[in-house]
Amino acid sequence: MNGEDTSSELSTGLEFAGHALSRASLDACVKCTICETQCPVAAVTPLFSGPKFVGPQAERFRNGESVDHSLDYCSSCGTCTLVCPQGVQIAELNSQARAVMKVGHMPLRDRLIGQTVLMGTLMTPVAPLARAVLNNKPLRKVMEVVVGVHADAPMPPPQSQTFESWFAKRPTPAGPFPRGAVVFFHGCAGGYFEVETSKKSVEVLERLGFEVLVPKQGCCGLAQQSNGLFKQASASVLKLCDDLRTAGKDLTIISSSGSCTGMLKHEASEIMGVDDERLRDVGTRTRDIMEFLLDLHEAGELPTDFATVEMTVPYHAPCQLKSQGIGKPALEVLRLIPGLTVVDSNATCCGIAGTYGLKKEKYEVAQAVGKPLFDMVKATNPELALCDTETCRWQIEQSSGVKTEHPIWMIHKAYGLS
Amino acid sequence: MSRVVVIGAGLAGLVAANRLAEAGVQVVLLHKGLGGLQLGQGTIDVFGYAPARVSNPIKAVGSVATTHPYAAIGAKAVLTGVDYLKKLLPELLLGDPESNYQLPTAVGAIRPTCLAQPSMIAGHVTDGAKLVIVGIRGLKDFQPQLVAENLARTPLPDGGRLRARHLWVDVPARDGEVDSSGLTYARAFDDETFRVRFAKAVVGQLREDEIVGLPAVLGLKDLHAWRDLAGKLGHRVFEIPLPPPSIPGLRLSEALTARALAAGVRIVPGVRTVGYASSGDRVTSVTTAAGLGGRSYTADAFLLATGGFESGALNLDSHQVVRETLFNLPLAGLDQTPLIHGEYWGPEQPLFKVGVAVNPKMQAVDAAGIPVFANLYAAGGIIAGASGWTEKSGDGIALASAIVAAAAISKELA
Amino acid sequence: MRKLAVDVVVIGGGSTGAGVVRDVAMRGFSTVLVERADLGQGTTGRFHGLLHSGGRYVVSDPESARECASENEILTRIQASAIESTGGYFVTCPGDDPTFADKFLAGAADTGVWAREVSVAEALRNEPRLNPGISRAIEVRDGTVDGWKLVWGAANSARNYGAQILTYHRVTKIETEAGKVTAVRCTNLRSGDEVLIECDFVLNCAGPWAGQIAAMAGAHPVEVVPGRGIMIAMNHRLVNRVINRCIYPADGDILVPAHTVSIIGTTDVKVDDPDNLAIEAGEVQQMLDAGEVLIPGFRNSRALHAWAGARPLIKDDRVAASDTRHMSRGMAVIDHTTRDGLDGMLTIGGGKLTTYRLMAEHIVDAMCEKRGEHRDCRTAAEPVPGSESGRTHLVSDRLHDREHDRFDEQIICECELMSRKMFTDALASQPAGSFDDLRRQLRLGMGPCQGGFCSVRATGIALDAGHLDSERANGLLRLFLKNRWIGLWPILYGDQVRQTALDNWIFQGTLDIEHLPQPTSEVAL
Repeated sequence: MNGEDTSSELSTGLEFAGHALSRASLDACVKCTICETQCPVAAVTPLFSGPKFVGPQAERFRNGESVDHSLDYCSSCGTCTLVCPQGVQIAELNSQARAVMKVGHMPLRDRLIGQTVLMGTLMTPVAPLARAVLNNKPLRKVMEVVVGVHADAPMPPPQSQTFESWFAKRPTPAGPFPRGAVVFFHGCAGGYFEVETSKKSVEVLERLGFEVLVPKQGCCGLAQQSNGLFKQASASVLKLCDDLRTAGKDLTIISSSGSCTGMLKHEASEIMGVDDERLRDVGTRTRDIMEFLLDLHEAGELPTDFATVEMTVPYHAPCQLKSQGIGKPALEVLRLIPGLTVVDSNATCCGIAGTYGLKKEKYEVAQAVGKPLFDMVKATNPELALCDTETCRWQIEQSSGVKTEHPIWMIHKAYGLS
Repeated sequence: MSRVVVIGAGLAGLVAANRLAEAGVQVVLLHKGLGGLQLGQGTIDVFGYAPARVSNPIKAVGSVATTHPYAAIGAKAVLTGVDYLKKLLPELLLGDPESNYQLPTAVGAIRPTCLAQPSMIAGHVTDGAKLVIVGIRGLKDFQPQLVAENLARTPLPDGGRLRARHLWVDVPARDGEVDSSGLTYARAFDDETFRVRFAKAVVGQLREDEIVGLPAVLGLKDLHAWRDLAGKLGHRVFEIPLPPPSIPGLRLSEALTARALAAGVRIVPGVRTVGYASSGDRVTSVTTAAGLGGRSYTADAFLLATGGFESGALNLDSHQVVRETLFNLPLAGLDQTPLIHGEYWGPEQPLFKVGVAVNPKMQAVDAAGIPVFANLYAAGGIIAGASGWTEKSGDGIALASAIVAAAAISKELA
Repeated sequence: MRKLAVDVVVIGGGSTGAGVVRDVAMRGFSTVLVERADLGQGTTGRFHGLLHSGGRYVVSDPESARECASENEILTRIQASAIESTGGYFVTCPGDDPTFADKFLAGAADTGVWAREVSVAEALRNEPRLNPGISRAIEVRDGTVDGWKLVWGAANSARNYGAQILTYHRVTKIETEAGKVTAVRCTNLRSGDEVLIECDFVLNCAGPWAGQIAAMAGAHPVEVVPGRGIMIAMNHRLVNRVINRCIYPADGDILVPAHTVSIIGTTDVKVDDPDNLAIEAGEVQQMLDAGEVLIPGFRNSRALHAWAGARPLIKDDRVAASDTRHMSRGMAVIDHTTRDGLDGMLTIGGGKLTTYRLMAEHIVDAMCEKRGEHRDCRTAAEPVPGSESGRTHLVSDRLHDREHDRFDEQIICECELMSRKMFTDALASQPAGSFDDLRRQLRLGMGPCQGGFCSVRATGIALDAGHLDSERANGLLRLFLKNRWIGLWPILYGDQVRQTALDNWIFQGTLDIEHLPQPTSEVAL
């Protein structure tokens, strides 16, 4: 598997429109270095020379080749782009340069991690066994040596039933659905690992009076993208757009997978340069579920008959949610629940950055990045934390020992659904 | 509840957001990236040169030309703003609106400013003072010999001279790193064990009565790191601000942001505000762009605190046309031609005084003085008539225009 | 007064003078080069950086095309470190005569200039920013050349052969006796010392200033017509190959990827004084329009800096037809014996950087002939110091180098990735140098921030190195910023305005640099 398909990867790595766009954005860099002040990776290790260095600065020296291998320490969390006052697409430039760098010598691990669906479908029927393997230290050590996934890194929790199977087998909801139909996009993690989150999302939407349609859907390709496999990722995301479009034109697409939403709304176009009407159609119709609830609230259409939940809970807004330019909608919605005190972590990043923190050579860096967050979570509530994306929840849970749920769980509960 | 959208997270945007939130208004703060505080020196200038060196800044505010932003803002608002910031951030800002500090810069010039951080105050120049300027080998943005020699050959504003020498220490911020940013050092200084190591490297080289000048990297989160270091050295110390990213500026930015969040301001970072909708003489909403997603924010009033040319709030295109990039507001100051001239050390470049004209409520107005929209206000660097970095007036204009705008908006919405 | 005695004095430290002094020294003459400023500070440092393949001349001037093709190969071998072999395209833009490409290909075949027509699709795939409306594309072996590095390479080679290089020495008089050159008088501009160089031959390689030099020997006026051309450097490589319009050579028809920038050039306006080259707003607009034809959206990309150079064109009807046997195309040699009755002096004008070595060969051949001795030219055979490996440079070289030394060395100019050691080494070899002298060798301050972040660092390091006092350090900083501004303000628009605003904020706002004690007189050198 290693090293195959080099020429076509090279061409997609170098010649897509997105690179031209990001590269043009480097013209806006005034070297103010604000990006470096917020970079969570540069803060904890000198191995990474920082987003300005590897981004707009190094890009002027690149001619189809990435000679600066330290850029691989960039976790692609996207904080630099978020904080740049000049609009430079720093993280996007870095992701692109990394994709180019990896052409021809892509580690086996980066390909495996990228295959989210494969991982899920393989694990689901044999969940107890998979769980045993993933929790088995000696076996994980073997995985670390062979594949390069750190033995202590968080891995997805296998489930015994997929969301798809639950959705198909459950009794048909009675309705009525006065607010019409919406499309639910569960994402791979929401389909195979975070099944409860998907279920609760559907139930909340139905409680609000929406008919929830769930078309058969594949992977968005995010993990492939973040590991530089742009060609495969582009094919995946467009296939997904086709899938989601089968459910109906003009319907709002709602997702509880913050990272997959980010892929549809941001990464596919800005990093990979996918320029396709299908993506534009789906991307502009897609809403994060908490964003959707906040929109309803602002329109005066969200019932706030929440039960009181006497609790103080830490909330962490994941990088990929922040990159969508929607602020922190979960924070606003959760604050409508009486009795609930939500404490914003205000932490930059948990360290996992998709699959970055899984890799054995990045694991320590990722743990150092996340440490302030883990400490904050433990200090705020040792029982429960809230966070919108899957890999971040797994990272927080694994590293802090605090159970971490999607905010929709709290809404579900406050609506008396659980 | 009424809602206000503030665009921009520099000093003007953050102060206005805080003031509005305190007044009970729901505030959404939209910003493209972190604002201007990290770009500046981390003190609050009110008036430094008019064009002669100013010793009483508030007095200078009261005697500006009618085209100057302070003419519309007024000295009272400046006093209110200065008082507000001092009360809001007592650990970060000290000073007196009737008297400027005269503080050394990182090239050894002596710079007037109104409010300064406590960590800088010991640098206020006095006749006969003995300074030692300490450079850190791993920090390239602070060249102590240049600072010391320039200070020593400069007559002081109030007469007299000081003595200054320099020394170097080599204390890496992190193992194996020779090229550390100011921020990396600031994080190191947050840690007491580093301060112990640093003090040990410096203390033996100090002479009696010397005041120790250091780059402004003495802690980011720990606002008392500098005081602790002074104690360990047994000497007075002061910080000298560096080029961006400014650690003192970051301290102010983080403190004002934390205040705003605590006051309930909803901050949406990483979004470019690219368009607006209006109805009659009112702006009804603004639209942000981020990736394929875009959102609209409706509000009762809008405050434009997007800065000047440095942020792209104002743009000069290749055909030499200047525009305000969000609302395409009418601009003042374009009658000065040429807008740019070739004398680098010559008179101020007229381009950088171009901006939006405002009335005493900080509503953006056209050439006839009529508000462009009844509910559109402007604050900070976008306002025409001054180039803050030349006068050392940018912070005061930002602060006081934000105070005025927030008050006008609150009153309007009440 | 300092006295020197040599066989040959070479006047002018541009590419011609450096090539000539190298050739003279390699042929075993003792020689001194005298330059009133720094090496490569005139026309050589003020061009677009194109190393011609010959393609530009295959239709208009076949002989030039042949010379360029052959010299391109030689320079790529002997001055590899100054050259990047980027390759190039000649493209037919919308509105251009599409049949010119046929003439081009025929001319290339006739002259032996390597050229190959490629599909428009291939050209657009390799250079995605090119105008998609191009109808034809011809690949050629254009390259880019760093004029300063080229001159320094030649000068260092000459030094190894015993030549002396006197920069910042202004020639004040050429002494003659009985119709023969005997000495050159000059002034060391930094120390004020007078220098008398006894010699029996002067080679006047002063380019646009050649007329002024010839007059110092009492020769009849030499009519030099400096043709001003402006160039604009854009912030990054919009293209990775040299892009030429496939038309008869005209203004604004070349975009050259030189180091980290791409340079659009150029105009041609007759001027009187090569020391006073304005960058007119109209010419800037002309270049931006020309760029827009090659690269749609050119105007929206960031312009960093502009400069003007003076072509050293000599128009002199006294150049005898018989003299042309020693000339390269576009080159003019004035034999002052036949023209002015003055022995021991030749004046050279015209020419182009790509053929600088050949020009030197011709002029030194002519000198040998006049001296009545035959010595072989060996400049084509031997690489200059620093180019022995034959490896041409890549834009990624500095990034590669910093990747390897960033844990040992600070990066002082971040935009152009200049390390502290690069700076202190250059400073040690030129302790009296201005920051602009060092810039020309190191690219200090030539990136997006145009000195905004690096110049104070450089000032402090120079002071720390002990070569100057704080008053001169400040003076050099003021001079550097002033000189940067000369090339900035004429092209100040778009993103570079943001940068200028931030730079002003830093220098005035944070550093209050304008309130340092003012120098009694500004440092000029």
